[in-house]
Amino acid sequence: MSPQPNRRATGGLIDRSVSLNFSFDGKQYGGFAGDTLASALVANGVTLVGRSFKYHRPRGFLTAGSEEPNGLVELRTGARREPNTKATTVELYNGLAAMSQNRWPSLAFDIQSINNWFSPLLGAGFYYKTFMWPGFLWEKLYEPLIRRSAGLGRLSMESDPDSYEKVHAFCDVLVIGGGAAGLMAALAAGRSGARVILCDEDFRFGGRLLSERTEIDGTPCAEWAANVVAELDGLPNVTLLPSTTVFGVYDGGTYGAIEKVSDHLETPGPGQPRQRLWKIVAKRSVLAAGAIERPIVFGGNDTPGVMLASAVRTYVNRYAANPGKRAVVFTSSDDGWRTIADLAAAGIEIAAVVDPRLQVAPSLGDIAKRAHAPVFLGARLREANGGHALASLSIIGADNRERQVRADLLAVANGSNPNIGLTNHYGHRPVWNEEISAFVADVLLPGMSVAGAAAGRFALADILRTGADAGAKAAEDTGFSATMPPVPATTADPVSATPLWHVDKSRGKAFVDFQNDVTAKDVALAAQEGFRAIEHLKRYTTLGMATDQGKTSSVTGLAIMAELTGRSIPVTGVTIARPPHVPVAIGAFAGIHTGPHFKPTRLTSGHRWAEENGASFVEAGQWLRPQWFSRPGEMDWLETVNREVLAVRNGVGICDVSTLGKIDIQGPDAGILLDRVYINMFSTLAVGRARYGMMLREDGFAMDDGTTARFSETRYVMSTTTANAAKAMSHLEFARQVLWPELDVQTVSITEQWAQYAVAGPNARKLLQNLFGLAIDLSPEAFPYMGVAEFEFGGTTVRLFRLSFSGELAYEVAVPAHYGDALIRRLMAAGAEFGVTPYGTEALSVMRIEKGHVAGNELNGQTTAGDLGFGRMMSKKKDFIGRTLAARPGLVDPERPVFVGFKPVDPSRRLRAGAHFLGLGKAATTANDEGYMTSVAYSPNLGHWIGLGLIKHGPERLGERVRAYDPIRNGDVEVEICSPVFVDPEGARLQHV
Amino acid sequence: MSELFAPLPAFETAFPISDGLTIEERSGIGLATVMIRKDQSAALVKRVRSLYGINLPASPSRAGTDDLAFIGIGPGVWLAAGSSSSGFTSMLANDLEGLASVSDQSSGYAVLRLSGPKARTLLQKGVPIDLHPSVFRPEKAAVTVIAHIGCMLWQTDEGAFEVAVFRSMAGSFHHWLAASAAI
Repeated sequence: MSPQPNRRATGGLIDRSVSLNFSFDGKQYGGFAGDTLASALVANGVTLVGRSFKYHRPRGFLTAGSEEPNGLVELRTGARREPNTKATTVELYNGLAAMSQNRWPSLAFDIQSINNWFSPLLGAGFYYKTFMWPGFLWEKLYEPLIRRSAGLGRLSMESDPDSYEKVHAFCDVLVIGGGAAGLMAALAAGRSGARVILCDEDFRFGGRLLSERTEIDGTPCAEWAANVVAELDGLPNVTLLPSTTVFGVYDGGTYGAIEKVSDHLETPGPGQPRQRLWKIVAKRSVLAAGAIERPIVFGGNDTPGVMLASAVRTYVNRYAANPGKRAVVFTSSDDGWRTIADLAAAGIEIAAVVDPRLQVAPSLGDIAKRAHAPVFLGARLREANGGHALASLSIIGADNRERQVRADLLAVANGSNPNIGLTNHYGHRPVWNEEISAFVADVLLPGMSVAGAAAGRFALADILRTGADAGAKAAEDTGFSATMPPVPATTADPVSATPLWHVDKSRGKAFVDFQNDVTAKDVALAAQEGFRAIEHLKRYTTLGMATDQGKTSSVTGLAIMAELTGRSIPVTGVTIARPPHVPVAIGAFAGIHTGPHFKPTRLTSGHRWAEENGASFVEAGQWLRPQWFSRPGEMDWLETVNREVLAVRNGVGICDVSTLGKIDIQGPDAGILLDRVYINMFSTLAVGRARYGMMLREDGFAMDDGTTARFSETRYVMSTTTANAAKAMSHLEFARQVLWPELDVQTVSITEQWAQYAVAGPNARKLLQNLFGLAIDLSPEAFPYMGVAEFEFGGTTVRLFRLSFSGELAYEVAVPAHYGDALIRRLMAAGAEFGVTPYGTEALSVMRIEKGHVAGNELNGQTTAGDLGFGRMMSKKKDFIGRTLAARPGLVDPERPVFVGFKPVDPSRRLRAGAHFLGLGKAATTANDEGYMTSVAYSPNLGHWIGLGLIKHGPERLGERVRAYDPIRNGDVEVEICSPVFVDPEGARLQHV
Repeated sequence: MSELFAPLPAFETAFPISDGLTIEERSGIGLATVMIRKDQSAALVKRVRSLYGINLPASPSRAGTDDLAFIGIGPGVWLAAGSSSSGFTSMLANDLEGLASVSDQSSGYAVLRLSGPKARTLLQKGVPIDLHPSVFRPEKAAVTVIAHIGCMLWQTDEGAFEVAVFRSMAGSFHHWLAASAAI
C-alpha cells in the first residue's frame, strides 16, 4: 500500500488497524476503515477530483458531506457503475474503484476545458440564445453536441444487478439527524419509553460532534456522542438507522428514507439488498438535520483547495487528513475562526486570517494570536490562483491594498443555512431570520418540530437544549411522560456572522453554483435581462437545479440578486426544496417489482400442467392464460390455433376458464338483487339451470356479461368476464350494501376457490361420462343445455355447467382449486381415446367470433345492450341498474352502429380489427364513418377471415358491401355485411346427442 | 374411475430458511367465508357460542383455536378456519343455516404460518400497518396488502402470524417472501 502523505499519525475517528485499498482513475491508493472516499483522497493528497459541468474547470472537494457539489465520481464498474456519486458520502471499502467524470482524455488534461475560454458564449441562457438558427440543426447537431460536452457521469446502460428492499416502520418519535440536537432528542424521547427511530445519513452518529474538538461534560464531543449512541442502542424502544437519509415528508406523518445497506461493500452479501427504502409513519418528528455552511463568491473560488471551513475541520479532525500545508481562513463568521486552532493543532501553517468584518470578539483574536496567524480585518479575497491546485490568494485589505499570499488551502466560512429542505415538502416557504442571516422554517409540518442548528440555533449549548426539549415534547405529545435529560455542560462558542455574499471587483470567474457552473456574472445577466423573480433566476441560470438542489448555492444566489436589484432578501423571495432531499436510485422505489415482477402474477391451478404441455401464455390482467399449445412442426401460431379449433369442432377440446370471475350470491333476496343488476330476469330461473345475462353501468352502457346458475332457492353463482371480475364484484357490493341494504343477500368472490375447465366438442359428453361414470347422468334429458349440477366425486365437490361459448356441445367442470391440477390430468386421460386437444384463449376467441358472441372487444364501454343486439332482452317488467339512462336519446339513436358480421368479398383478404367502415367509393372522412370492426379471426371452418363489428343500420343491410378502411396498416378491404353467426346458425351442434 | 383426486399445495417452492423464522403452508385446512344474514346478528353470535364455544369477534380479530377459528374480516363477515377442509364448509352451512351465508374458500386462499422471533420483522417489511406488539396483539387481524398482493393477516393466540393470500398469487407472494427474508 502506498503511503498516505497527508494523513497524520495519530488522532481522528479512523481505524488505522484496518487498511483499505482503493483506486481512483485507475491509480491505487490506501485508506483506513472509517474513511469516506473523499477523506481517503484528501489523505493521499489528491486535490483534483472532477471537472465541472459546463466549463470543464478543475474541481476539488468543497465540502465533506451530502451537500457536495464538486466531488462527484463514477463509482464501481460494469453494471454496478453508478454515476454522480458524492465521494464525500461514500464509506470507503476495500477494492473500491472510482473514476472522475466529465473529462477527456484525462482529469488533468481535459480538452473541453477550452469551454472555459468560450465562456462568453456559454453564459446564462446560452441554450436559448445561441442555437436558435437554423432550427433544423437543433436535433441533429446542437443538442447532441451539448449533451456530449455538458453533463456529468455515464450510465452503465446495463440492468442493475443489485436488489432493493422496501420496509415499513412505525414510531412515536422520528428523529431526523443524529448530531448533537438529534442525539439529545432521541435520548429524551427514548428514555420516556416512546418508540423512537433515529436516522442519520452518515455511517456514524454524531454529526458535527465528530468533526469538532470541543468538549461536552468534560469529554471530547465525539466520545460524548459515542456514549449517547451506546445508551440509545441499549434501549429496546429505540431503533438506530445509520446511513439512512430521510428524503421526503408525505401525508399523514409518513416519511421516506433510504438506507445504504451494502454500499460500503464491493458487492452486497448473499440475499442482502443494496439499499432499503423505508416508509416510516411517525406520530411526531424532530428535524435535527443541522446546517450547511455557505461559501463566499469571489474570483477563482472553485479552485481545488478552496473548501468550506467546516469541511476543513472534518478532514483534519475526524479523518486526521490534512487537506493542505499552508492555509488561509476567509471567514465572515465567528465559527470560521475555530478552524484556526484546529489547523494549528494539525500542524498546518496559517498564512492569513481574512475577515470582512472590521471588528471581531477579542476571544477570536486570541485564537489567531496563539496560532501565530496574521489577521486581516475589514479585508476580503479578490482572487484565488492556481488552476489544478490552489497556489496563492490575493487579499484586499481594509486599506484597499492588494497582497498576494501563498497557500494551498483556503477555509471559507460565511455563516450557515439551516438544513430545512424537508420542511418545504408540503409547499411551505421558509422565512428570513435577520438575526442569523438565514432562512428558517416558518410553518411547521403537522407533528414536526425543528431543533438545533436546523432551527437556527448555532451555539452548542442551545443545540443540546433545543434537541432535548423537542425530544421530550414529542414523547409527551404521544402519551409518554418524559423527563428532560440534563443538558450537559459546554464552553461558550461565539456564533455571530455577517455574511459576505459576493466580493465586488473579483478577478476571474466567481462561482455561485459549483455543480451547474453558475457564476455571479450569470446572476447579474439574469437581473439585467429581467429574470429577477427568484423562480426565473433559477430557471434562466439553472442555479440550484443540479443534483444537490442548490444546498450550497441557492441562498447565496438570491442574496446576490437582492443586492443587484436593491431589494431585501425576503422581498426577493426564496425557492422551495422538493422531495427527494437527496437523489434516490429509481431501483429503490421499484424494489422487487421489476421485469416480470412489475405486478403480481396470478396463475391458475392448471398452470404447471399447461407449461408441461407446451402452452404459450398471454397476460389477461394479472392472470397468465394459455394462449395456445404449439406442437412440434407447427410453423406459426395460426397453424396451431387452426388445429385447436378444428379439433374442438370435430372432436373434443379442453380450455382452462378458471380466470373467469365467479361470485357466490346467497340469501332469500338473491334473485331480487340479480333482477336489479341484470337487464333480464333471474328470480324466475329454475334451480339447476343457468341463464345468460348482461349488466349495465349506471350510465346505461353495457358493463359485463356472463352466465349465472341457480344451485338452490337461496344460492346463485354468477360468472363474469376475466377482465371485469373485480369490477362486477364491487358493482354487486355497492348495489347490496349501499343501494339496497334492506335486501337479505350476501355476495363473495369465489373466483379463487374453483378451478374450471371448458370441455367442448361433439365428444364432450363421452369424455365426461368416461371420467364421472355413474356419479352423474349426462343424458340430454337429465342434463340439458343450460343445466347445472353439484355432486360429490373423488372426494371433493364438483360443479358441472352445460354452457357453450364455442357453439359446440360443451360443459364447464369446476372443482376446488387444490384439485385443479388433478382435474386437468384426469380430463385429459378420460379424453385420450377421443384425441382430446387442449386449446388456448386464441382458439376460444376464434370460436366465439365464428358464433358471433360478444366479448371484451365489443363490451368496450362505448356500446349499449341495443348496439350489441340485446335490446329485446331488456326486461320491461322490472327496474334494473342502467335502465333509465339507457333510454337517453343518444343511446337509442337509430343511427348508432349496431353489431353484425363481416366477411371479405375476396376470400383471400385478411381483415383487421379497428378498421373503419366507409360506403363504397366514399372518401375516408369522419363524416363518412359508419362504424368499425371490433374482432376478427381466421375461420378454419370457413377457410377465410371473418369479422364482427358495429355499423349503422347493420341488421338491415345484410348482403351490402362496404370498405373496411385501416390506414394504420394500409388496409382497405371490401367486405360484405352478414349475420354475426358464421357457424351453425341453427344451433344444432349445441344439442349434439 | 372414482379414486380420490390428489390435492396440491399452493406453494411449489421451498420457503427461505433462517434462524428465528419458521414458515410453513397450512395446507389441507378448511376455510370459509361466513356472512351474516339480515337481522341475524344476535342469533348467529349465540349459535356460534353455543355450538363451538367461540365468541364471534365484532372487530378485526381472531377467536378460536387451530381446530376452529373465526377471523373478523369485515362488518358482518368472518373467515372461518378449521383444521381440515373435509366436510368443513358443509358443517358450517348446516350449523349456521338461516343465520349466515357460508361459502367454501378452502382452495381460495393459500395460508402461511410464520413463527419465531423474526416473523414480525419480516412481515413488517411488507405490511403497511403497525405490527408492534403493543398495537397488533395476539388474536388481532387485518385485511391489508403486502407487495401489492391483497392479504388477510392475523395472529394466533400463541403469537404466530398467519397470512392468507389468493391462491393464484402464491408464486408472487413467495417472490416477495424470498426477497425479504434476509433479516
